[in-house]
Amino acid sequence: MIMADDKDVLRDVWFGRIPACFTLSPEETTEREAEPYYLLLPRVSYLMLVTDKVKKHFLRVMKAEDVEEMWFEYEGTPLKWHYPIGVLFDLHASNTALPWNITVHFKNFPERDLLHCPSNSVIEAHFMSCIKEADALKHKSQVINDMQKKDHKQLWMGLQNDKFDQFWAMNRKLMEYPTEEGGFRYIPFRIYQTMSDRPFIQKLFRPVSPEGHTLTLGDLLKELFPAAICVEGDPHDENNSPRYYLMKTCLQFRHLSQEVGIRDVRKRH
Amino acid sequence: MAAERNPASCYLDERTFRLCCQLFLQHSETIQDGWSWEQIKGTDEGFMKKTLLIPVKSSVLHKQHECSMQDENMVTDDTQANVEDETAGVQAVCEIHAVLRYEYHVLYSFSYQIPVLYFRASTLDGRPLSLEEVWGNVHPNYRQRLQQGPWDTLTQQDHPLLGQPFFMLHPCRTEEFMKPALDLAQAENKRVNYIVTWLSVVGPVIRLDVPLSYSTEVSAPD
Repeated sequence: MIMADDKDVLRDVWFGRIPACFTLSPEETTEREAEPYYLLLPRVSYLMLVTDKVKKHFLRVMKAEDVEEMWFEYEGTPLKWHYPIGVLFDLHASNTALPWNITVHFKNFPERDLLHCPSNSVIEAHFMSCIKEADALKHKSQVINDMQKKDHKQLWMGLQNDKFDQFWAMNRKLMEYPTEEGGFRYIPFRIYQTMSDRPFIQKLFRPVSPEGHTLTLGDLLKELFPAAICVEGDPHDENNSPRYYLMKTCLQFRHLSQEVGIRDVRKRH
Repeated sequence: MAAERNPASCYLDERTFRLCCQLFLQHSETIQDGWSWEQIKGTDEGFMKKTLLIPVKSSVLHKQHECSMQDENMVTDDTQANVEDETAGVQAVCEIHAVLRYEYHVLYSFSYQIPVLYFRASTLDGRPLSLEEVWGNVHPNYRQRLQQGPWDTLTQQDHPLLGQPFFMLHPCRTEEFMKPALDLAQAENKRVNYIVTWLSVVGPVIRLDVPLSYSTEVSAPD
Protein backbone atom coordinates (compact mmCIF):
# COMPACT_ATOMS: atom_id res chain seq x y z
CA MET A 1 0.00 0.00 0.00
CA ILE A 2 1.18 3.53 -0.61
CA MET A 3 2.68 4.96 2.56
CA ALA A 4 1.54 8.35 3.84
CA ASP A 5 5.09 9.77 3.42
CA ASP A 6 4.96 9.06 -0.26
CA LYS A 7 2.18 11.57 -0.73
CA ASP A 8 4.64 14.47 -0.52
CA VAL A 9 6.80 12.90 -3.18
CA LEU A 10 3.79 12.21 -5.35
CA ARG A 11 2.69 15.83 -5.07
CA ASP A 12 6.18 17.15 -5.81
CA VAL A 13 6.37 14.97 -8.89
CA TRP A 14 2.91 15.93 -10.11
CA PHE A 15 3.34 19.66 -9.58
CA GLY A 16 6.84 19.90 -11.05
CA ARG A 17 7.05 22.72 -13.58
CA ILE A 18 9.53 23.91 -16.18
CA PRO A 19 9.48 27.53 -17.33
CA ALA A 20 9.61 27.67 -21.13
CA CYS A 21 9.83 30.37 -23.76
CA PHE A 22 8.26 29.60 -27.12
CA THR A 23 9.63 31.47 -30.14
CA LEU A 24 8.33 31.20 -33.68
CA SER A 25 10.82 29.82 -36.17
CA PRO A 26 12.23 32.50 -38.49
CA GLU A 27 11.29 30.16 -41.36
CA GLU A 28 7.60 30.78 -40.75
CA THR A 29 5.68 33.40 -42.72
CA THR A 30 4.00 36.04 -40.57
CA GLU A 31 1.91 39.10 -41.20
CA ARG A 32 3.63 40.95 -38.39
CA GLU A 33 6.33 40.21 -35.83
CA ALA A 34 5.63 37.36 -33.45
CA GLU A 35 6.35 37.93 -29.77
CA PRO A 36 7.69 34.97 -27.78
CA TYR A 37 5.23 33.21 -25.49
CA TYR A 38 6.10 32.16 -21.94
CA LEU A 39 4.54 29.15 -20.26
CA LEU A 40 5.10 26.97 -17.18
CA LEU A 41 5.09 23.39 -18.45
CA PRO A 42 3.99 20.50 -16.22
CA ARG A 43 6.71 17.86 -16.13
CA VAL A 44 4.24 14.98 -16.13
CA SER A 45 2.24 16.12 -19.14
CA TYR A 46 2.79 16.18 -22.89
CA LEU A 47 3.74 19.12 -25.09
CA MET A 48 0.79 18.81 -27.45
CA LEU A 49 -1.62 18.70 -24.53
CA VAL A 50 -0.53 21.93 -22.87
CA THR A 51 0.31 24.24 -25.77
CA ASP A 52 -3.07 25.30 -27.13
CA LYS A 53 -2.36 28.83 -25.92
CA VAL A 54 0.98 28.79 -27.69
CA LYS A 55 -0.74 27.85 -30.93
CA LYS A 56 -3.43 30.51 -30.55
CA HIS A 57 -0.80 33.11 -29.77
CA PHE A 58 1.16 32.53 -32.97
CA LEU A 59 -1.88 31.96 -35.17
CA ARG A 60 -2.82 35.57 -34.48
CA VAL A 61 0.07 36.76 -36.61
CA MET A 62 -0.17 34.17 -39.35
CA LYS A 63 -2.42 33.52 -42.30
CA ALA A 64 -4.42 30.29 -42.20
CA GLU A 65 -2.85 29.04 -45.40
CA ASP A 66 0.64 29.22 -43.86
CA VAL A 67 -0.37 27.02 -40.93
CA GLU A 68 0.05 23.23 -41.02
CA GLU A 69 0.65 20.83 -38.15
CA MET A 70 2.46 22.50 -35.22
CA TRP A 71 5.68 20.96 -34.00
CA PHE A 72 8.48 21.92 -31.64
CA GLU A 73 12.20 21.91 -31.87
CA TYR A 74 15.09 22.60 -29.51
CA GLU A 75 18.46 23.58 -30.97
CA GLY A 76 17.73 21.77 -34.21
CA THR A 77 16.28 18.63 -32.64
CA PRO A 78 12.57 17.96 -33.19
CA LEU A 79 10.94 17.35 -29.81
CA LYS A 80 9.04 14.09 -29.50
CA TRP A 81 5.71 15.18 -28.08
CA HIS A 82 4.93 11.64 -26.91
CA TYR A 83 7.71 11.82 -24.31
CA PRO A 84 6.65 13.45 -21.04
CA ILE A 85 7.78 17.08 -20.89
CA GLY A 86 10.06 16.43 -17.92
CA VAL A 87 11.88 13.72 -19.86
CA LEU A 88 12.34 15.98 -22.89
CA PHE A 89 13.78 18.73 -20.75
CA ASP A 90 16.11 16.43 -18.84
CA LEU A 91 17.31 14.81 -22.05
CA HIS A 92 17.92 17.94 -24.09
CA ALA A 93 18.20 21.01 -21.92
CA SER A 94 18.85 20.19 -18.29
CA ASN A 95 22.33 21.73 -18.33
CA THR A 96 21.27 25.06 -19.81
CA ALA A 97 19.85 28.14 -18.19
CA LEU A 98 16.12 28.58 -17.76
CA PRO A 99 13.74 29.36 -19.36
CA TRP A 100 13.82 26.47 -21.78
CA ASN A 101 13.87 28.03 -25.25
CA ILE A 102 11.67 26.08 -27.62
CA THR A 103 11.18 26.91 -31.30
CA VAL A 104 7.71 26.57 -32.80
CA HIS A 105 7.10 25.43 -36.39
CA PHE A 106 3.97 25.26 -38.51
CA LYS A 107 5.33 23.71 -41.66
CA ASN A 108 7.83 21.11 -42.94
CA PHE A 109 6.69 18.56 -40.39
CA PRO A 110 9.64 16.14 -39.87
CA GLU A 111 7.90 12.90 -40.88
CA ARG A 112 10.91 10.74 -40.16
CA ASP A 113 11.35 12.00 -36.60
CA LEU A 114 7.99 12.83 -35.10
CA LEU A 115 4.66 11.12 -34.67
CA HIS A 116 1.65 13.03 -35.90
CA CYS A 117 -0.72 14.48 -33.33
CA PRO A 118 -3.91 15.50 -35.11
CA SER A 119 -6.01 15.62 -31.92
CA ASN A 120 -6.01 15.12 -28.15
CA SER A 121 -7.45 11.64 -28.58
CA VAL A 122 -4.10 10.56 -30.05
CA ILE A 123 -2.39 11.79 -26.87
CA GLU A 124 -5.00 10.02 -24.76
CA ALA A 125 -4.51 6.76 -26.67
CA HIS A 126 -0.75 7.01 -26.23
CA PHE A 127 -1.00 7.82 -22.52
CA MET A 128 -3.45 4.99 -21.86
CA SER A 129 -1.30 2.55 -23.80
CA CYS A 130 1.65 3.45 -21.53
CA ILE A 131 -0.51 2.95 -18.43
CA LYS A 132 -1.69 -0.36 -19.82
CA GLU A 133 1.80 -1.57 -20.58
CA ALA A 134 2.98 -0.58 -17.11
CA ASP A 135 0.14 -2.62 -15.61
CA ALA A 136 0.98 -5.58 -17.82
CA LEU A 137 4.37 -5.51 -16.12
CA LYS A 138 3.09 -4.85 -12.58
CA HIS A 139 -0.07 -6.94 -12.42
CA LYS A 140 -0.30 -8.96 -15.65
CA SER A 141 -2.89 -6.35 -16.71
CA GLN A 142 -5.36 -7.58 -14.09
CA VAL A 143 -5.90 -4.23 -12.39
CA ILE A 144 -6.27 -2.14 -15.55
CA ASN A 145 -8.61 -4.70 -17.12
CA ASP A 146 -10.79 -4.78 -14.00
CA MET A 147 -11.24 -1.03 -14.12
CA GLN A 148 -14.19 0.38 -16.00
CA LYS A 149 -14.03 2.64 -19.00
CA LYS A 150 -15.05 5.60 -16.87
CA ASP A 151 -12.14 4.89 -14.52
CA HIS A 152 -9.73 5.00 -17.45
CA LYS A 153 -11.35 8.24 -18.52
CA GLN A 154 -10.85 9.66 -15.06
CA LEU A 155 -7.12 8.92 -15.23
CA TRP A 156 -6.88 10.76 -18.50
CA MET A 157 -9.05 13.69 -17.42
CA GLY A 158 -6.97 14.01 -14.25
CA LEU A 159 -3.85 14.42 -16.35
CA GLN A 160 -5.47 16.62 -18.96
CA ASN A 161 -6.96 19.00 -16.39
CA ASP A 162 -4.08 18.86 -13.94
CA LYS A 163 -6.18 17.37 -11.14
CA PHE A 164 -3.93 15.47 -8.71
CA ASP A 165 -6.74 14.05 -6.57
CA GLN A 166 -8.87 12.99 -9.50
CA PHE A 167 -5.89 11.24 -11.08
CA TRP A 168 -4.66 9.52 -7.94
CA ALA A 169 -8.12 8.34 -6.91
CA MET A 170 -7.78 5.93 -9.82
CA ASN A 171 -4.03 5.60 -10.04
CA ARG A 172 -3.75 4.31 -6.47
CA LYS A 173 -5.39 1.08 -7.64
CA LEU A 174 -2.62 0.67 -10.20
CA MET A 175 -0.04 1.32 -7.51
CA GLU A 176 -1.21 -1.33 -5.07
CA TYR A 177 0.78 -4.49 -4.79
CA PRO A 178 -0.11 -7.57 -2.80
CA THR A 179 2.84 -8.04 -0.45
CA GLU A 180 2.16 -11.75 -0.14
CA GLU A 181 2.95 -12.08 -3.81
CA GLY A 182 6.21 -10.19 -3.49
CA GLY A 183 5.00 -6.88 -4.82
CA PHE A 184 4.83 -5.88 -8.45
CA ARG A 185 5.69 -8.65 -10.88
CA TYR A 186 8.15 -6.41 -12.72
CA ILE A 187 9.05 -2.74 -12.28
CA PRO A 188 7.91 -0.63 -15.24
CA PHE A 189 10.77 1.69 -16.08
CA ARG A 190 12.41 3.28 -19.09
CA ILE A 191 15.91 4.70 -19.31
CA TYR A 192 15.89 7.30 -22.07
CA GLN A 193 19.09 8.12 -23.91
CA THR A 194 20.10 10.61 -26.54
CA MET A 195 23.24 8.91 -27.78
CA SER A 196 21.54 5.94 -29.35
CA ASP A 197 19.00 5.07 -32.07
CA ARG A 198 17.21 3.07 -29.45
CA PRO A 199 14.84 5.51 -27.74
CA PHE A 200 15.02 3.86 -24.33
CA ILE A 201 16.19 0.85 -22.42
CA GLN A 202 13.30 -1.17 -21.09
CA LYS A 203 13.83 -4.63 -19.68
CA LEU A 204 12.15 -7.02 -17.28
CA PHE A 205 13.26 -6.37 -13.71
CA ARG A 206 11.84 -7.96 -10.60
CA PRO A 207 11.60 -5.77 -7.48
CA VAL A 208 12.76 -8.62 -5.24
CA SER A 209 15.86 -10.76 -5.64
CA PRO A 210 15.60 -14.56 -5.79
CA GLU A 211 16.83 -14.56 -2.15
CA GLY A 212 14.00 -12.26 -1.13
CA HIS A 213 15.84 -8.93 -0.79
CA THR A 214 14.06 -5.80 -1.92
CA LEU A 215 16.04 -4.30 -4.77
CA THR A 216 16.85 -0.62 -5.25
CA LEU A 217 17.37 1.78 -8.10
CA GLY A 218 21.09 1.18 -7.71
CA ASP A 219 20.62 -2.54 -8.19
CA LEU A 220 18.57 -1.91 -11.32
CA LEU A 221 21.20 0.40 -12.79
CA LYS A 222 24.05 -1.92 -11.88
CA GLU A 223 22.38 -4.71 -13.72
CA LEU A 224 20.95 -2.93 -16.72
CA PHE A 225 22.89 0.27 -17.20
CA PRO A 226 26.15 0.21 -15.27
CA ALA A 227 27.51 3.16 -17.25
CA ALA A 228 25.11 5.39 -15.36
CA ILE A 229 26.78 4.77 -12.03
CA CYS A 230 29.95 6.62 -11.27
CA VAL A 231 31.45 6.80 -7.80
CA GLU A 232 33.47 9.96 -7.54
CA GLY A 233 36.27 10.68 -5.14
CA ASP A 234 36.54 9.13 -1.71
CA PRO A 235 33.59 6.84 -1.12
CA HIS A 236 34.03 7.25 2.65
CA ASP A 237 33.63 11.01 2.50
CA GLU A 238 30.06 11.60 3.62
CA ASN A 239 29.73 14.40 1.10
CA ASN A 240 30.70 12.01 -1.61
CA SER A 241 28.52 8.94 -1.20
CA PRO A 242 27.88 7.04 -4.40
CA ARG A 243 26.15 9.33 -6.75
CA TYR A 244 24.07 8.36 -9.68
CA TYR A 245 25.70 10.25 -12.40
CA LEU A 246 23.62 10.35 -15.50
CA MET A 247 25.09 11.95 -18.53
CA LYS A 248 22.80 12.40 -21.53
CA THR A 249 20.56 9.85 -19.88
CA CYS A 250 17.32 10.17 -18.09
CA LEU A 251 15.92 7.53 -15.79
CA GLN A 252 12.22 7.21 -15.63
CA PHE A 253 10.29 5.75 -12.80
CA ARG A 254 7.14 4.61 -14.37
CA HIS A 255 6.04 2.70 -11.28
CA LEU A 256 4.55 5.98 -10.21
CA SER A 257 2.59 5.76 -13.47
CA GLN A 258 4.27 8.99 -14.28
CA GLU A 259 7.66 9.73 -15.66
CA VAL A 260 10.18 11.18 -13.22
CA GLY A 261 13.35 12.51 -14.72
CA ILE A 262 16.36 12.09 -12.52
CA ARG A 263 18.90 14.62 -13.51
CA ASP A 264 22.56 14.92 -12.91
CA VAL A 265 22.81 14.90 -9.13
CA ARG A 266 26.58 15.32 -8.90
CA LYS A 267 27.68 18.15 -6.71
CA ARG A 268 28.89 21.01 -8.84
CA HIS A 269 32.28 22.27 -7.73
CA MET B 1 13.26 -22.63 -20.61
CA ALA B 2 11.20 -25.33 -22.29
CA ALA B 3 8.74 -24.19 -24.92
CA GLU B 4 5.90 -25.86 -23.11
CA ARG B 5 2.76 -24.09 -22.19
CA ASN B 6 -0.36 -24.88 -20.25
CA PRO B 7 -3.66 -24.52 -22.12
CA ALA B 8 -4.35 -21.12 -20.64
CA SER B 9 -1.13 -19.49 -21.82
CA CYS B 10 -0.90 -17.81 -25.19
CA TYR B 11 2.37 -16.18 -24.35
CA LEU B 12 5.72 -16.53 -25.89
CA ASP B 13 9.03 -16.28 -24.07
CA GLU B 14 11.84 -14.49 -25.83
CA ARG B 15 13.96 -17.56 -26.48
CA THR B 16 11.05 -19.34 -28.14
CA PHE B 17 10.38 -16.21 -30.17
CA ARG B 18 13.90 -16.27 -31.55
CA LEU B 19 13.78 -20.00 -32.25
CA CYS B 20 10.45 -19.69 -34.07
CA CYS B 21 11.87 -16.84 -36.13
CA GLN B 22 14.95 -18.87 -37.04
CA LEU B 23 12.80 -21.70 -38.35
CA PHE B 24 10.53 -19.22 -40.12
CA LEU B 25 13.51 -17.57 -41.79
CA GLN B 26 14.91 -20.88 -42.98
CA HIS B 27 11.71 -21.54 -44.88
CA SER B 28 11.59 -17.98 -46.19
CA GLU B 29 15.06 -18.56 -47.61
CA THR B 30 13.89 -21.77 -49.28
CA ILE B 31 10.94 -20.17 -51.02
CA GLN B 32 12.62 -16.78 -51.54
CA ASP B 33 9.99 -15.00 -49.50
CA GLY B 34 12.25 -12.06 -48.66
CA TRP B 35 12.44 -12.13 -44.86
CA SER B 36 15.69 -11.37 -43.06
CA TRP B 37 16.92 -11.05 -39.48
CA GLU B 38 18.17 -7.68 -38.29
CA GLN B 39 20.42 -7.88 -35.23
CA ILE B 40 20.90 -4.87 -32.95
CA LYS B 41 24.65 -4.27 -32.70
CA GLY B 42 26.17 -5.36 -29.44
CA THR B 43 23.08 -7.15 -28.17
CA ASP B 44 21.35 -10.46 -28.67
CA GLU B 45 18.19 -8.65 -29.69
CA GLY B 46 16.83 -8.39 -33.16
CA PHE B 47 13.77 -8.56 -35.35
CA MET B 48 12.51 -10.05 -38.61
CA LYS B 49 12.15 -7.72 -41.56
CA LYS B 50 10.62 -7.80 -45.01
CA THR B 51 10.02 -5.20 -47.69
CA LEU B 52 7.21 -5.49 -50.19
CA LEU B 53 6.11 -3.53 -53.23
CA ILE B 54 2.33 -3.39 -53.32
CA PRO B 55 0.22 -2.14 -56.19
CA VAL B 56 -2.73 -0.08 -55.02
CA LYS B 57 -5.39 2.07 -56.57
CA SER B 58 -4.17 5.61 -56.25
CA SER B 59 -7.66 6.60 -55.11
CA VAL B 60 -6.51 5.53 -51.66
CA LEU B 61 -3.85 8.19 -51.73
CA HIS B 62 -4.56 11.77 -50.92
CA LYS B 63 -5.67 13.77 -53.90
CA GLN B 64 -2.92 16.33 -53.52
CA HIS B 65 -0.41 13.59 -54.20
CA GLU B 66 -2.22 12.02 -57.11
CA CYS B 67 -0.65 14.24 -59.74
CA SER B 68 2.89 13.24 -58.86
CA MET B 69 1.80 9.62 -58.42
CA GLN B 70 0.46 9.39 -61.93
CA ASP B 71 3.67 10.57 -63.48
CA GLU B 72 6.06 8.52 -61.41
CA ASN B 73 4.23 5.32 -60.83
CA MET B 74 2.32 4.59 -63.97
CA VAL B 75 2.51 0.86 -64.32
CA THR B 76 1.17 0.07 -67.78
CA ASP B 77 -0.38 1.77 -70.78
CA ASP B 78 -3.38 -0.54 -70.47
CA THR B 79 -4.23 0.95 -67.12
CA GLN B 80 -4.33 4.41 -68.62
CA ALA B 81 -6.66 3.30 -71.40
CA ASN B 82 -9.02 1.63 -68.91
CA VAL B 83 -9.24 4.76 -66.88
CA GLU B 84 -10.19 6.84 -69.84
CA ASP B 85 -12.94 4.38 -70.74
CA GLU B 86 -14.29 4.15 -67.24
CA THR B 87 -14.37 7.80 -66.49
CA ALA B 88 -15.68 9.03 -69.80
CA GLY B 89 -18.65 11.22 -69.05
CA VAL B 90 -18.99 9.96 -65.48
CA GLN B 91 -17.91 11.50 -62.21
CA ALA B 92 -15.59 8.77 -61.03
CA VAL B 93 -12.51 8.30 -58.93
CA CYS B 94 -9.30 7.89 -60.86
CA GLU B 95 -8.08 4.29 -60.58
CA ILE B 96 -4.62 4.36 -61.99
CA HIS B 97 -2.45 1.84 -60.22
CA ALA B 98 0.42 3.02 -58.13
CA VAL B 99 3.08 1.12 -56.25
CA LEU B 100 3.75 1.50 -52.57
CA ARG B 101 6.64 0.28 -50.51
CA TYR B 102 5.70 -1.54 -47.29
CA GLU B 103 8.35 -2.50 -44.79
CA TYR B 104 7.33 -5.01 -42.08
CA HIS B 105 9.14 -5.69 -38.81
CA VAL B 106 8.33 -8.50 -36.39
CA LEU B 107 9.52 -7.61 -32.89
CA TYR B 108 9.24 -9.23 -29.49
CA SER B 109 7.41 -7.39 -26.71
CA PHE B 110 8.82 -8.19 -23.26
CA SER B 111 5.95 -6.38 -21.59
CA TYR B 112 3.23 -8.48 -23.20
CA GLN B 113 5.35 -11.54 -23.99
CA ILE B 114 4.06 -11.74 -27.53
CA PRO B 115 5.32 -10.74 -30.97
CA VAL B 116 4.27 -7.36 -32.38
CA LEU B 117 4.02 -6.27 -36.01
CA TYR B 118 5.40 -2.86 -36.94
CA PHE B 119 5.39 -1.47 -40.46
CA ARG B 120 5.92 1.66 -42.46
CA ALA B 121 4.70 2.55 -45.88
CA SER B 122 5.87 5.05 -48.44
CA THR B 123 5.49 5.93 -52.08
CA LEU B 124 8.33 4.96 -54.38
CA ASP B 125 9.73 8.47 -54.19
CA GLY B 126 10.02 8.13 -50.44
CA ARG B 127 7.02 10.07 -49.18
CA PRO B 128 5.76 8.40 -46.00
CA LEU B 129 2.07 7.47 -46.03
CA SER B 130 -0.29 9.02 -43.52
CA LEU B 131 -2.41 6.97 -41.15
CA GLU B 132 -5.48 7.72 -43.27
CA GLU B 133 -3.79 6.41 -46.40
CA VAL B 134 -2.66 3.25 -44.60
CA TRP B 135 -6.23 2.73 -43.36
CA GLY B 136 -7.37 3.00 -46.93
CA ASN B 137 -5.18 -0.01 -47.68
CA VAL B 138 -6.61 -2.16 -44.93
CA HIS B 139 -8.96 -4.74 -46.37
CA PRO B 140 -12.59 -3.66 -45.72
CA ASN B 141 -13.26 -6.97 -43.92
CA TYR B 142 -10.76 -6.03 -41.25
CA ARG B 143 -11.59 -2.38 -40.80
CA GLN B 144 -14.56 -2.87 -38.53
CA ARG B 145 -12.66 -5.22 -36.23
CA LEU B 146 -9.81 -2.78 -35.96
CA GLN B 147 -12.14 0.04 -35.05
CA GLN B 148 -13.75 -1.78 -32.15
CA GLY B 149 -11.64 -0.43 -29.32
CA PRO B 150 -9.38 2.56 -28.78
CA TRP B 151 -6.41 0.31 -28.13
CA ASP B 152 -7.20 -2.31 -30.72
CA THR B 153 -6.18 -0.47 -33.72
CA LEU B 154 -3.56 0.82 -36.06
CA THR B 155 -1.54 3.57 -34.46
CA GLN B 156 1.63 5.46 -35.13
CA GLN B 157 4.39 4.56 -32.69
CA ASP B 158 8.10 5.04 -32.36
CA HIS B 159 9.89 1.82 -33.31
CA PRO B 160 11.27 0.60 -29.95
CA LEU B 161 14.65 -0.31 -31.41
CA LEU B 162 15.11 2.20 -34.23
CA GLY B 163 13.38 5.23 -32.71
CA GLN B 164 11.58 6.18 -35.96
CA PRO B 165 7.84 6.55 -36.60
CA PHE B 166 6.21 3.29 -37.65
CA PHE B 167 2.67 1.98 -37.61
CA MET B 168 1.80 -0.78 -35.22
CA LEU B 169 -1.05 -3.22 -34.84
CA HIS B 170 -1.76 -3.10 -31.13
CA PRO B 171 -1.08 -6.42 -29.43
CA CYS B 172 -4.14 -6.21 -27.14
CA ARG B 173 -6.24 -8.91 -28.73
CA THR B 174 -3.46 -11.36 -29.63
CA GLU B 175 -4.62 -13.75 -26.93
CA GLU B 176 -8.11 -13.77 -28.39
CA PHE B 177 -7.15 -15.24 -31.71
CA MET B 178 -4.07 -17.20 -30.69
CA LYS B 179 -5.79 -19.15 -27.91
CA PRO B 180 -8.19 -21.14 -30.12
CA ALA B 181 -5.43 -21.94 -32.58
CA LEU B 182 -2.99 -23.06 -29.89
CA ASP B 183 -5.64 -25.04 -27.95
CA LEU B 184 -6.71 -26.85 -31.12
CA ALA B 185 -3.16 -27.77 -31.97
CA GLN B 186 -2.57 -29.03 -28.46
CA ALA B 187 -5.78 -31.09 -28.56
CA GLU B 188 -4.56 -32.72 -31.76
CA ASN B 189 -1.16 -33.32 -30.21
CA LYS B 190 0.49 -31.07 -32.74
CA ARG B 191 2.97 -28.35 -31.98
CA VAL B 192 2.78 -25.12 -33.91
CA ASN B 193 5.31 -22.50 -34.72
CA TYR B 194 3.87 -19.49 -32.87
CA ILE B 195 5.21 -16.97 -35.36
CA VAL B 196 3.75 -18.78 -38.37
CA THR B 197 0.31 -19.01 -36.76
CA TRP B 198 0.36 -15.45 -35.46
CA LEU B 199 1.67 -13.80 -38.62
CA SER B 200 -0.81 -15.71 -40.79
CA VAL B 201 -3.58 -14.03 -38.80
CA VAL B 202 -2.29 -10.47 -38.40
CA GLY B 203 -0.31 -10.10 -41.62
CA PRO B 204 -3.17 -10.09 -44.14
CA VAL B 205 -4.84 -7.21 -42.28
CA ILE B 206 -2.05 -4.99 -43.57
CA ARG B 207 -1.43 -6.61 -46.93
CA LEU B 208 1.20 -9.09 -45.75
CA ASP B 209 0.52 -12.61 -46.91
CA VAL B 210 2.09 -15.72 -45.45
CA PRO B 211 2.16 -18.50 -48.07
CA LEU B 212 0.51 -21.74 -47.03
CA SER B 213 3.75 -23.68 -47.21
CA TYR B 214 4.84 -22.04 -43.95
CA SER B 215 2.16 -23.90 -42.03
CA THR B 216 3.14 -27.25 -43.45
CA GLU B 217 6.89 -26.88 -43.72
CA VAL B 218 7.92 -24.89 -40.65
CA SER B 219 8.20 -26.86 -37.45
CA ALA B 220 7.86 -25.75 -33.87
CA PRO B 221 11.08 -25.27 -31.92
CA ASP B 222 12.15 -28.16 -29.67
